[in-house]
Amino acid sequence: MVLSAADSAVLFRSRVLFVSGKGGTGKTSVAAAIGRLAAAQGRRTLVLELDNQRPSLTGIFGVRPTYAPTEVAKNLFISNVEWVDALGDWLEAIVNLPRVVRLIMRNHIVSVFLQATPGARDLVVLWRVMALARSYDLVVVDMPASGNAVAMLSVAHTARRLFEQGPIRRCADDLVNLYHQADTRMVLVSLPEEMVVNETVETARRVGADLAPLRVPIVVLNRATMPSLSTEESALLTALLAGPSAGLAREVLEAGRWEAELETATKESLDRLRAELKLPVLVLPVLARGEGALRVVGQLTSAMARASSVPVDLRGGA
Amino acid sequence: MSTSLAQLVEKQRLLVCVGSGGVGKTTSAAAIGLRAAMRGRRVLVLTIDPARRLANSLGLSEFGNTEVRIDLGDRGTGELWAMMLDAPSTLDDVISRVAKDTATRDAIFANKIYRHMAGSFSGSQEYMATERLYDVYGSDRYDLIVLDTPPVKNALDFLESPGRLARFLDRQIMKWFLTPYEEEKVFGKRFLMGTSAVVYRLLGHIFGREFLDELSVFFALFRDLYDGFRERHEAVGRLFAASTTSFLVVSAPTEPSVDVAGFFLDELRTRKLPIGGVLVNQVHSASTSVPDVDALLGAEARGIDATTAGPLLARLGAAHRRLRELAALEAARVEEVRRATGSSTWVRVVPRMPEEVHDLDGLLRLHVNLFDGGS
Repeated sequence: MVLSAADSAVLFRSRVLFVSGKGGTGKTSVAAAIGRLAAAQGRRTLVLELDNQRPSLTGIFGVRPTYAPTEVAKNLFISNVEWVDALGDWLEAIVNLPRVVRLIMRNHIVSVFLQATPGARDLVVLWRVMALARSYDLVVVDMPASGNAVAMLSVAHTARRLFEQGPIRRCADDLVNLYHQADTRMVLVSLPEEMVVNETVETARRVGADLAPLRVPIVVLNRATMPSLSTEESALLTALLAGPSAGLAREVLEAGRWEAELETATKESLDRLRAELKLPVLVLPVLARGEGALRVVGQLTSAMARASSVPVDLRGGA
Repeated sequence: MSTSLAQLVEKQRLLVCVGSGGVGKTTSAAAIGLRAAMRGRRVLVLTIDPARRLANSLGLSEFGNTEVRIDLGDRGTGELWAMMLDAPSTLDDVISRVAKDTATRDAIFANKIYRHMAGSFSGSQEYMATERLYDVYGSDRYDLIVLDTPPVKNALDFLESPGRLARFLDRQIMKWFLTPYEEEKVFGKRFLMGTSAVVYRLLGHIFGREFLDELSVFFALFRDLYDGFRERHEAVGRLFAASTTSFLVVSAPTEPSVDVAGFFLDELRTRKLPIGGVLVNQVHSASTSVPDVDALLGAEARGIDATTAGPLLARLGAAHRRLRELAALEAARVEEVRRATGSSTWVRVVPRMPEEVHDLDGLLRLHVNLFDGGS
């Protein structure tokens, strides 16, 4: 259940990693764990949230991410790409006249127009991601949920159809160019649940159809309960469950069934992801429940280090 | 105490499910729809979720912008319909209806900006969802519409989208873009002064002259439609706030989803939108006592397979301990949801289903948990 060196290199030797998946799969924790592990390997790493009014990274690192990246550990930075700031920077990069940009940003009509234009926000936020990627070895982007992530990234293709020249066209060209880079990748986080696996498979296919040549080279199966019951134990459990038990005895048996089902679901999900997507799967275990976000990410990082055979010392980390 | 879920399902005309991803929002929406249909109402479950989750929950392979009837067999006298929104064709429908003649309609359909705005940009789905909602609501074909919204940020976009589209079609903005267009028709060049001139030049620089011209045409075509759009969106705003509408906050006993539920409750209160109640799905339960597994099951297990009994009983003890820990943790989170909700609104705890819901039978079992079981 350990990834090959080549497959784990996909995660840690990328330059830009878009992390997405169905809501509730632990995207942010996985993104933060990848960031911590890459930083521990000595890569200057930035973990990004995109225009999130309630950044989840705050709970993980104990610091609220701002537009300007903050260093939270050695080599590890976090940031929240707030779109109004990104817009200001983008306009300044285009017109190079801060005074005119301020005039524009204060202009009621322009600001309402830009806010209301579908896609404008996505394009400007992604422009900022590209700009940041130039100053880091790795940028891990905590994307919106599956379908919304694909829609957001496909703003580049839409803008290219709409604009034949000018700054928007150049930004869209740069983005498509970024998707072409072999070290730009998308990682999907899944869970051992049938519907979540369905959505993972569907999203990977949509990325292939709508965002080519952007690659999804690896899938993360989070909160896995690895099969551990022997065949004999399963058979005995089944026989006991079929028998006449009641009260607490029944509840104990149901607890056994609960864990056995989690194990089966993990195996089935893993088989399906491998068969339907033909991709390597990084398996992360379900963690002790009730831990704070910081500890969860710490444990996830250790699990990820083991599962991806990355030899790093995490003790000095965040 | 507020009106119970069973009562809301009997009397409301619109139920809007909001909450974070992965909490069973779509499945809850479908189960609520099923309940109402079994009670004899004509129900539409409507999703604007870009992921095809509703189809998943209903065991349907795929359905687009059309209403699909779910066969209930002999389970009730009502009707259960489902629809998943497809933004481009929804907008086309709206334009066809509000355009003053076919020439205007065709000119709009041919406009490059319209085509892209209608289809490709993320966010347009939410723009158009309210349009569709308004249509089906107004059609009187349904006694109840259950609306399933996408996770967090987009759901807020959805609440805001009537306002956003109205702002986009703001008279002031249109006038501003139309003035140079119309002056040009008259004078063949632009008379713009001061700030406007700078801003227009800069926008021209950013978007390109071609795009601005295209935009002027777009606004010119939309000008006559503006009042219709604004009225519709105001009507949707009133619909959300109506006494026959309730918002249901759906959550699960996990830290992020409890957090998001609190956020939605705040948002709904701020917007003065009617909160119907709160569902906490997928809750585990266990007794608090520590079982003596060997005393409870040892004799029986050894009677079946003496060699495997020892290891299995140890595993069962460990499994029950983990279930107790989880149940205790989740109970604390349910309390957190109750505190955030306040005592005047109900919180319904829905036990975890042993298997995932992906067909009508699964929905039936969930609907029993939702309405008859739980607390």
